[in-house]
Amino acid sequence: MDDEIRRVLREHGKLPCQVETLDEDADLFEAGLTSHASVNVMLALEEAFDVEFPEPMLRKSTFESIGAIRHALTTLTAAGVPS
Amino acid sequence: MSTTVIDETCRVGVDLVVVEDVAASVERFGERYLARVYTDHERACCTGDPTTVASGLAARFAAKEAALKVLRPVGPRPGWRSIEVVRHPNGACDLALTGRAARLAAEAGIRQLAVSLTHEAGMAAAVVMVTCGRGLLHPTDGSTKQGE
Repeated sequence: MDDEIRRVLREHGKLPCQVETLDEDADLFEAGLTSHASVNVMLALEEAFDVEFPEPMLRKSTFESIGAIRHALTTLTAAGVPS
Repeated sequence: MSTTVIDETCRVGVDLVVVEDVAASVERFGERYLARVYTDHERACCTGDPTTVASGLAARFAAKEAALKVLRPVGPRPGWRSIEVVRHPNGACDLALTGRAARLAAEAGIRQLAVSLTHEAGMAAAVVMVTCGRGLLHPTDGSTKQGE
């Protein structure tokens, strides 16, 4: 799952750093993830994992790190939230 | 009985968006991106060639983010569509808040809200300004009341 998350971040996050070098707890917004890029990341994650982020999960903390994204996706896929 | 507004404050939010980024999102995600972020009214206001459309959408996205900076959500943030840029026939714009955005505004005691949009040279920006008053002082008993 982490490899796919990093792929999405690499392709849609517009981060000014190498995604591969980011620790899973590194703050993505501090690393340069903009609000608008986070929308693209969200939409790309939905495509990649066939889920849809419900409004209660649309908080900054959901996308603040690779670990946080993994946790959110794990929660969504375990709950069987389809896109 | 006279009342006095107490603890009135002002909040300002600003945001800047690269128009090309919005154009790329429209190109890449299409309807999913548009329907998730913008209201029907906002989309209807952004017509013309792709660059013009993207410029208008980028300014509206900036307005939504600027509004979030004055709403200061803790926890879940309001959906993007719950913060709408309403364009009047004369070109002036206001913000209309619904759902969680409206609730946050009420909790903050936001009384007045103004927005200004601009785009130039591939960038779009918006400024949102609000005045907040936490309550009214009633001199007879010293109590305060919210939202009057």
